[in-house]
Amino acid sequence: MSIRIASVNKSFGKFSALRDIDLEIRPGELLALLGPSGSGKTTLLRIIAGLESPDDGPARIEFDGVDVTTQSAYERKAGFVFQHYALFQHMNVFENIAFGLRVRPKKVRPPEEAIAKRVHELLELIRLVPFAKRFPSQLSGGQRQRVALARALAIAPQILLLDEPFGALDARVRMELCQWLRAFHDETKITSLFVTHDQEEAFRLADRVVIFGEGRIRQIGTPEHVRTSPADDFVRNFLGFGEDMHPGAIV
Amino acid sequence: MSAVVPLTLAAAPARPASRSNAARTEPPLVRWTLIGLAVAFIVLLLIFPLLTIFHEAFSKGWAGLRTAYSDPGTLESIRLTLTVAAIAVPFNALFGLAAAWLITRFDFRGKRLLEVIIDLPIWISPVVGGLVFLLLFGRQGLFGPWLIDHGIKIAFALPGLVLGTVFVTFPYVARNLIPLMESLGRGEEEAAISLGARGWQVFLLITLPRVKWALLYGLVLCNARAMGEFGAVTVLAGNVRGLTSTMPLQVENLYNDYHMASAFALASLLTLLGIVTLILKTFIEWRTRRDLAAASAEIEESLPEPIPTP
Repeated sequence: MSIRIASVNKSFGKFSALRDIDLEIRPGELLALLGPSGSGKTTLLRIIAGLESPDDGPARIEFDGVDVTTQSAYERKAGFVFQHYALFQHMNVFENIAFGLRVRPKKVRPPEEAIAKRVHELLELIRLVPFAKRFPSQLSGGQRQRVALARALAIAPQILLLDEPFGALDARVRMELCQWLRAFHDETKITSLFVTHDQEEAFRLADRVVIFGEGRIRQIGTPEHVRTSPADDFVRNFLGFGEDMHPGAIV
Repeated sequence: MSAVVPLTLAAAPARPASRSNAARTEPPLVRWTLIGLAVAFIVLLLIFPLLTIFHEAFSKGWAGLRTAYSDPGTLESIRLTLTVAAIAVPFNALFGLAAAWLITRFDFRGKRLLEVIIDLPIWISPVVGGLVFLLLFGRQGLFGPWLIDHGIKIAFALPGLVLGTVFVTFPYVARNLIPLMESLGRGEEEAAISLGARGWQVFLLITLPRVKWALLYGLVLCNARAMGEFGAVTVLAGNVRGLTSTMPLQVENLYNDYHMASAFALASLLTLLGIVTLILKTFIEWRTRRDLAAASAEIEESLPEPIPTP
């Protein structure tokens, strides 16, 4: 699915989180929203999911050419993976993953066996079949992250939005999940956006990188392009050129 | 997500194991004096009066108790108390949930003020609360004459009882839910919405299960307060015998009529209610702590199994 974002502004009180954001995301793309904290990248992700609404004005969000600006989050059904996973603490792994199917209106709700089958497939995908009966508090950070991913995938979303998906994990698990996500994306070609403040992660994973600074998009391009020709001083500073940036080490 | 601490329920920290710490231990004389004083106070001020109530209730034996509970006024007072509680408690459950939801899930002007106002009934005397409603709905009150002209009687009638009770029990549910819901945050609710859940599904499947013990705790306290309320209902409903005399008011009526055994018999029922509440409260606290302990016993990541690439 393609996503088009036009003229999106968002302010919280006097703080302007996003200013005049225009962005087109191609079908099947894996896009990184990169920037320092407070630069507005998470806010944009939440606006795309419908968890936050843009300020009044000409703002427009389109999924595959369809205007979804006024649709609520549950209508948009974007798969969303939260920074701290936000797993349902009172449900086990199985019920967490099944949730999105269970809450469907009766007419489109799959029968119990179909739900069980789908959850089982996802458990196999994330390699947590023996953990189906465990509660989130009984899982490690990496396992929780995978459950959060499986839960988002259960509703077969057309887009996948990931907010700092690897932020809270240690380096080893992070690396593994990164590779897994890239491979998963290559396989499924779900249009995916992920937010990160880690440029290495962004450059390693993404097809294109969008660099945010102070609520504006500073540059959009492939990792190579952004690395070799930063658009302005902000991007150059953020990427740390002239300090400890070793462009060769990233590829 | 980290383990969440419901502030009202489980704020008590675990007792430090300081027995072995000699520096913190007082000399035996001081220790035993303090313990002795505490025990003396508890016996004198709590246990002894409590026993007296039951002793007096049984002063005329089972027969006396039977006589006490066959008095129509007493029976009516029990029925009335149950009726009032049955209206006031669900009302406060609804109000408490709505208020907690509003305060913890939305930002609006005057939010802090609303929180303070919800607490108001705790800080002002119930008698004052009763008086205010009397000024509004009494015969000489602001809306009283109009309401009475239209056949609606609030003061010195059941609606007055309910109003007074709702007023004094107003904060219990909301106060218990607000800190918990604040610490739980919006994360899980947002996750549910992004998975396609409607508002009511989010509430029933996500929010309610997470706050159910805090809610129950609030309801138990609310119920105990509703059944025991004296001040507000006396002023507002006037202790009209057989009409607005709830159990605590009937105890006073019996006492004033020198029906000591009957008064204490009814008082013992109220006391039992208090004891049951205490047991329930303790059980709920224990449950909540257990849930908390389970939630916070996070198994730390040792070596996660490798993930296959699809």
